[in-house]
Amino acid sequence: MIKFSPLFKKKINRFKSINRGYYSFIILIMLFLPSMFSVLIANNRAIIVCFNGSYYFPTYSSMLTGSFFDQNYEYEVKYRELSKIFKEQNSGNWLIMPPIPYNPYENDFKEGIYPPDSPSFSAKHFMGTDTMGRDVACRLIYGFKIAMIFSMILLFVNYGLGISIGCFMGYFGGKFDIIFQRVIEIWSNIPFLYVIIIISSIVVPNLFMLIVIMSFFGWISMTWVMRTITYKEKEREYVLSAKAMGAGSFRIIFKHILPNTIAVIVTFAPFAISGGIVSLTSLDYLGFGLPPPTPSWGELLGQGWANMDAWWIVTSVIFAMTFTLLLVTFIGEAVREAFDPKLYTIYE
Amino acid sequence: MKQYFIRRLLLIIPTFIGITIIVFAITRFVPGGPVERIIMQAQQMKNMDGMGIIGDTQENSSQPLSDEQINELKKYYGFDKPVLVSYCLWFLKVITGDLGVSTRYYDPVWDMIVERIPISLFYGLVSMVLVYGICIPLGILKAFKHKQAVDNITSIIIFTGYAIPGWVVGLLLLVFLGSYWEIFPLGGFTGDDFENLNVIEKAYDIVLHAVLPVISYVAGSFAVMTLLMKNTLMENLSADYIRTAISKGLPFKKAVFDHALRNSLIPIATHFGNNVSVILMGSFLIEKVFNIDGMGLLGYESVIERDYPVVLGILVISSVLLLAGNILSDICVAIVDPRVRFK
Repeated sequence: MIKFSPLFKKKINRFKSINRGYYSFIILIMLFLPSMFSVLIANNRAIIVCFNGSYYFPTYSSMLTGSFFDQNYEYEVKYRELSKIFKEQNSGNWLIMPPIPYNPYENDFKEGIYPPDSPSFSAKHFMGTDTMGRDVACRLIYGFKIAMIFSMILLFVNYGLGISIGCFMGYFGGKFDIIFQRVIEIWSNIPFLYVIIIISSIVVPNLFMLIVIMSFFGWISMTWVMRTITYKEKEREYVLSAKAMGAGSFRIIFKHILPNTIAVIVTFAPFAISGGIVSLTSLDYLGFGLPPPTPSWGELLGQGWANMDAWWIVTSVIFAMTFTLLLVTFIGEAVREAFDPKLYTIYE
Repeated sequence: MKQYFIRRLLLIIPTFIGITIIVFAITRFVPGGPVERIIMQAQQMKNMDGMGIIGDTQENSSQPLSDEQINELKKYYGFDKPVLVSYCLWFLKVITGDLGVSTRYYDPVWDMIVERIPISLFYGLVSMVLVYGICIPLGILKAFKHKQAVDNITSIIIFTGYAIPGWVVGLLLLVFLGSYWEIFPLGGFTGDDFENLNVIEKAYDIVLHAVLPVISYVAGSFAVMTLLMKNTLMENLSADYIRTAISKGLPFKKAVFDHALRNSLIPIATHFGNNVSVILMGSFLIEKVFNIDGMGLLGYESVIERDYPVVLGILVISSVLLLAGNILSDICVAIVDPRVRFK
């Protein structure tokens, strides 16, 4: 268990007292945790099936064929139809479908209607379908999950790189610092979106490839921040006494300096998350992010742009995006206020 | 001071070389360049020709061009020399002002860029004027009315603008105001029959096309500036020198506008230099959403189509602007804040 210093605990308490940020944090967690179990929220498999007295959980078990449920086909059973059949038979068999009974890759083509189809509650397409007949709400949820996981891993990779390089630059100074300063200046001036587009048009990136490519350019801002702070911290007495007791450079950096800079690291984290979501969405919108058919907000925005009559696609994505990013921004503002309170004088 | 700026100006050169050499090397090692494109086209043409003839299919998939032809092509596009040599050749040409010829349209790159600059410049300048025109007064107002109704209501808009990127705002506006209610055109810089309009109609046409993109540009950057303005002004208002000024009897308004405001403009001035590259280069996402044929879209399309001379040409201009913008920021800070002494 990590032990927080009383000072850090005080800051956490201050964060909790800022209502807007604290509730945003709770809401975001309440959105994120269920999205981990998105197969139970949006799926074409039933959550639970009661058939001839025994229970089945198709979302977490292997595929069950039609003949298994006394249907006359051998491929995977269609749970939406099975549900109707069970109701007609009225034989004590039942099943519960997820709230959105579609999976994100499933094309729901209806006779005589060409997708995209507008929202309808009777078809349980609460936010309509996209150009391929896939459920928008369902893809939003899966896209949210992917975007959040993406930005969090990206955050860790960027911070890991940025913090270590920044600390080394600040702590060792001298030639190491000067060389890296030049490198960073060059690096940060390369139009990174261009490079990402060039790279991802050759190799189709998966989630981890994309993180690697993005973190290639993402570590810079944190490095600058950490460098400045380490410079300041290095001159403090506790570093001197640690050195006098014979602690090595690595120990001083990671055991003594780093805990003292935690406030800054935490302050920047929420903004890095929203930055991650925005850049993944932008890349997906341009078609250089995750490969199709991965559900993603950017890809939906791209579809909405190409089919402007289907206003529900753009509207639902932008609503979801605004809501999520606003939550993250509120959290970020509250964290900043908690860690760096500014007391203003107000003249009446 | 002068020494400092001269040194900064000289430091542009190694950084510029560093940036261009990296991108140059990337364009070299990445497959899909102009030579491969021509080989592919030749192959397609051969396949088309071969459709009628029932021959062995093996020959169709083999190399359509002879080695000699490929070498000729490589020589034409300058791919026959090692990276460093061709980089030096390219660099020498750039210094003389020759950015080369597009491998896609065979137009001089410089002409292609000059054609696009006025469009991006127009949007950049209009939105910059609007951003500063909105942010500074709004920031001052919010600082005065801190935690009052006006502050809280505008905060909602500002946080929303801060959270979502400008091009997403543009997309939303486009779908509703452009497509659904058909108030504004669906993009482009001018309408289709622009040539046949008189001067007033032309101006109206441009303005009508500009409304939504300009809103997106402004939405993308006004939030940061307003918050910056508000926070620094509030910090200055609670500083000792303002307290002293007020306690010695200076009217509040005078204290703010004569003393606090000037100090609060320093961070805004720091931001100013960064605008230079945005104004000229535009945002390619916004330009893509609205189909505006500006610098941003040119750069984006040249990357997609592997038109490397154009990519590098835009890179040259954008990196010089970016580096010059950083120095301009410093100069602005020095003008606004006489205490600053760069060494």
